[in-house]
Amino acid sequence: MDNRIGHVGLIKQVIFYIALLLLWQFIVALKIWPEYLLPAPISIGKTLLCGFSDHSFTIGIFTSLKRLCLGYGVSIIFGSILGVILFRYRTINDIMGRFILSLQTMPSICWFPLALLWFGLSELSIIFVVIAGSLFSITMTVNSSLRNMSPIILNVGRNFGAKKLNMLAWVMLPSVAPSLVMGFKQGWSFAWRSLMAGELIFNSLGLGFLLNMGRELNDMSRVIAVMFIIAAISILFDKLVFGRIEKFIQFRWGGIK
Amino acid sequence: MSDLNFEIKRGEFMCIVGPSGCGKTTLLNIMAGLDNHYYGSVLYTGERTRKVNSDRILIFQDLGLFPWLTVRQNVEFGLRVRGMSKSGRGKISRKYLEMVKLGKFSDYFIHELSGGMRQRVALARALAVESDILLMDEPFSFLDAQTRDTLYEELQRIWAITRKTIIFVSHNVREAVCLGDRVLVFSASPNSKIKAVFKIDLPRPRLIESEGLMSEVRPIMEALKPEIGRSHG
Repeated sequence: MDNRIGHVGLIKQVIFYIALLLLWQFIVALKIWPEYLLPAPISIGKTLLCGFSDHSFTIGIFTSLKRLCLGYGVSIIFGSILGVILFRYRTINDIMGRFILSLQTMPSICWFPLALLWFGLSELSIIFVVIAGSLFSITMTVNSSLRNMSPIILNVGRNFGAKKLNMLAWVMLPSVAPSLVMGFKQGWSFAWRSLMAGELIFNSLGLGFLLNMGRELNDMSRVIAVMFIIAAISILFDKLVFGRIEKFIQFRWGGIK
Repeated sequence: MSDLNFEIKRGEFMCIVGPSGCGKTTLLNIMAGLDNHYYGSVLYTGERTRKVNSDRILIFQDLGLFPWLTVRQNVEFGLRVRGMSKSGRGKISRKYLEMVKLGKFSDYFIHELSGGMRQRVALARALAVESDILLMDEPFSFLDAQTRDTLYEELQRIWAITRKTIIFVSHNVREAVCLGDRVLVFSASPNSKIKAVFKIDLPRPRLIESEGLMSEVRPIMEALKPEIGRSHG
């Protein structure tokens, strides 16, 4: 039953995209705007093919993903550690909690001038912006999910004799897993946005750079083609990676907290 | 609560009733060693104890089952933290899942079970660590009447097999009379204390709707009624 609804949904979506392409082609054919402002879908397809065959798009994608993984990885590891510290030590939380919140609410691109002065025009500057954009949100998530742990679940753990490592591995971590996943997903989207913003400003390969190059060359079909790639990567991670994890969590935890 | 002094014999089934807010739940937490904010002492086999220990398992009102584990893994939890081998755990969990009649559901997740089945999982999890004492905090209060009646019979059967000491907090006098060897009636807070103790000598297994039960229920109701009035006033 579910499967059939899924198929119908897919067909409707395909029809929608085809209709969108046709409408687009139709508007282009009306020649209201010149081709360099609104290129035909076909010329975007050509640009995509061209970009992948001369490897410039592939290199851009890999450069961006490498920076993203590095920055996001650092954020997850150190953001989580910091979150656990804030949870564990009340005084530190009282002193630093608000400070970290203010760092988290700061638009990540505002870190860029500082990063440039510190690290110069280097790879490190971009990765720094990615980390600054996502680390504190992960810290806040880890801290607040640990704080919202069900006291009953913890007491059950204590009652059955779970201590330290057992408690962490078998009770605390799984009980906060659903909210951790949500927080990590949010952290990912912060990291991704920060990366794109950074790459747009700082010209050094990467997808943001390709996008900016399209503008400088006045090549609208290139701009749109790169935007397509960026959207595709966003959806890929959102649906495939985090979507799967969320489905698994939903299945296992069944929406019970 | 103050001036509280009572003893429970090994293997006894004792029920505690009292108006809401009189500290029944706190008392269970203290006996389990989960609450240390009290003056006085809890003696267990003659020795003073303040620490939480798996020889006294508390079954919470909303159970505290682990939704991320299967039924079997929930039951094996206490054994796993003790470092027991997989085969050893399997043997024990199978035994107690059979006892609570959930043998077929061992690979289900908690959210796939009905309320009554969840109660059975919580019971099996508590039994699996072979504790001496079960502390139960109004465990059946969220269930429908029919499920509850079945569980009264089940609990008496399991108690008869395992000979656990059970301390059962309830807000329902009939339930307490149906299950308990003794029923303690608490007075309303503040300064709630033991108002009366009733010994129930009815033959077992007892059915909740039996005639004999009603005659035991009445005097306890009489003792409890003014307290409930006080706690609302």
